[in-house]
Amino acid sequence: MTRRRGALYLTGLAIVVFVATACSMSTSETAGGGGTAAASMTAPGGGDWTTYHGTYQSWHYSPLTEINTDNVKRMKVAWVHHPGRSTRGLQSMPLVADGVLYYTGSYSRVWALDAATGKPIWSYFPKLNDDLVAAQTHSPYTRGIALGMGKVYVGTVDGRLIALDMKTGQPAWDTKLVNSEKLTVGFTGAPLFVKDKVIIGSQGGEWPGRGPIFGVDAASGRKVWEFFTVAGTEESKKTWGGESWKTGGGGGWMAGAYDPETNTVWWGTGNPAPLYDWAGSDWKTAGPRPGDNLFTSSIIALDPDNGRLKFYHQELPHDAWDFDSAVGEFVMLDRDGKKLVVHPNKGGHVFVYDRKDASIVNVWQLAQNINFVKGVDPKTGALIGRRDLALGKHTNLCPAIAGGMSWNSGAYSPKTGLYYKIGQEWCMDLEVIKTTPVLEPQAQLDIGANFTLRNPEGGKAHGHLSGRDPVTGAKKWEVTFPEPPLASLLATGGNLVFVPDPRGMLRAYDAQTGKELWSHNNGIGHNGGIISYSAKGKQYIAVATGWGSLVGDEFGALFGEPYKSMPKDAGALVVFTLE
Amino acid sequence: MLIVSIATLMAAVVNAQEGPQPQSTAVPAPADAAEGAKLFGTTCGFCHQDGGRVAGRGPKLAGTDRPDEYLLNRIRLGKDGAMPAYGRAFNEAQLRSLLAYIRSLKDDAR
Repeated sequence: MTRRRGALYLTGLAIVVFVATACSMSTSETAGGGGTAAASMTAPGGGDWTTYHGTYQSWHYSPLTEINTDNVKRMKVAWVHHPGRSTRGLQSMPLVADGVLYYTGSYSRVWALDAATGKPIWSYFPKLNDDLVAAQTHSPYTRGIALGMGKVYVGTVDGRLIALDMKTGQPAWDTKLVNSEKLTVGFTGAPLFVKDKVIIGSQGGEWPGRGPIFGVDAASGRKVWEFFTVAGTEESKKTWGGESWKTGGGGGWMAGAYDPETNTVWWGTGNPAPLYDWAGSDWKTAGPRPGDNLFTSSIIALDPDNGRLKFYHQELPHDAWDFDSAVGEFVMLDRDGKKLVVHPNKGGHVFVYDRKDASIVNVWQLAQNINFVKGVDPKTGALIGRRDLALGKHTNLCPAIAGGMSWNSGAYSPKTGLYYKIGQEWCMDLEVIKTTPVLEPQAQLDIGANFTLRNPEGGKAHGHLSGRDPVTGAKKWEVTFPEPPLASLLATGGNLVFVPDPRGMLRAYDAQTGKELWSHNNGIGHNGGIISYSAKGKQYIAVATGWGSLVGDEFGALFGEPYKSMPKDAGALVVFTLE
Repeated sequence: MLIVSIATLMAAVVNAQEGPQPQSTAVPAPADAAEGAKLFGTTCGFCHQDGGRVAGRGPKLAGTDRPDEYLLNRIRLGKDGAMPAYGRAFNEAQLRSLLAYIRSLKDDAR
């Protein structure tokens, strides 16, 4: 369901906001101290990569053309950086500004390296609460950082947001935002820098909290606002039966995007807790969390200045399958006079929204094996033929808990007009059981089922990369993989699409045809980010390597080798250029 | 970090020693196993598939030949990068109910 809150955008006001935003970006944010050129966040155009999704448009696209379909075969390793202690591999998206590459390793560690040579400039290892980290499930990976106003911003797994001076790595401020000692969860996702704020979402999902998203003053570290993704408004509290909103989960554990034209932050939210609900089809009135459970498994639009909700769409009302909306990118496009945003949902469908109010423009199916619903109405986004799971055993639920799409990002090329995205094909058997949330002395996972991943009926679990029209879903080409790639994708102006695969191969495809043009064996699986940038006049491709995540950890049992013996405590940043 | 890890390990062992001493539970009380099953499905089933009957993210637990004390300590201390430490989250009765549940699982050699 899509809703708008209150009287919104007067056109004139929107224009004023846009102009003011553009003006502020062209002055203060580019000034001094290694300041980030915010123009590079607004649209691709230069050789930097200054925000998690490449730009606010979330294209994961570099316009650089030096490396292209004609010469990609000459691409070789330029340099490698080993961060050490890469528990669960490197999962982060590097950023580059003004010839310096910044990236994070496990345990919220940050490096600044010379982007042309890999030579370390500074490093920062935050002192963490080790007892807490040892007790965490979704940890100790850190998936990215934000840049702005001369600082690097990193969320920590023990619930802090830290600002570091871009030139020296010295902490400017360190703000505790989440009571992780009580709630167990902290931050693993990248922050988003918008105007003068740093926005970051807490982990949540099957963790019994309320999953806030925070707006923090970039200069001082002062918390300016906090939006609860569970019952964040009085109206939404009514969608939680009884006191269930107090332990509802939610969260916003991946970076969202920003639309400067309307001054709107778009963010995806996590699933509710408990993850599975024994009420079955009686979920509106019975079970552990009766009702729609707003704003879980939703996309929400927030005012970055004050955190107020503008509008939202709940992709999965009362999500009973862990197919949340926290995954994925917000691809912003203009088509036929409409300003659109394309957002993949973990369940395997892609939602296309009108950016003015999140009204549904289309919904199309990417993953093939889906039976948790019979379909999604492409005109309204309503779920058709829900498969709600009552207490007891169920077989062949598709997709499996790992989703039809995972949290890493796809890519969009304005040159080809195609959206490149990985689909995952797998199912599972499960037994839904009753649970009681464990809140004391420290909150624990609230799952509500035992499950086993399995092959889809009549086939084998696998993955695929396809190039599609982002609005209609029409497929131009597809490449299949024996196991689903889990890393983010990169599209470039050289008409290339890069896919870091789980076996350890980094592959380059012709963006128009899907023909494989180049590959390189990094020797360990990929489960993180990939970017392209320019330094000292040369184009580089940087990819995070390393294996081990809550999805990747399933591969050994499901696919055998090389995953059974693949290390989960190693990883490096590998950077390529033309020889 | 190695020093910290060892300190953490030792602290957890000390904590474990200060709590009720482990006892052999070769024939667990049915009520304990039922309580453990509920707790397992709340927290542990996320990684140990099919309720610990088959390998998944975590290892298969049904039919394990690990001694009771090994299993209890693994739950308390976790395993770096692979399993969370529950020593501060679960009390001794909860730990023993999980052990009773694990021991109640039939090993059908899957």
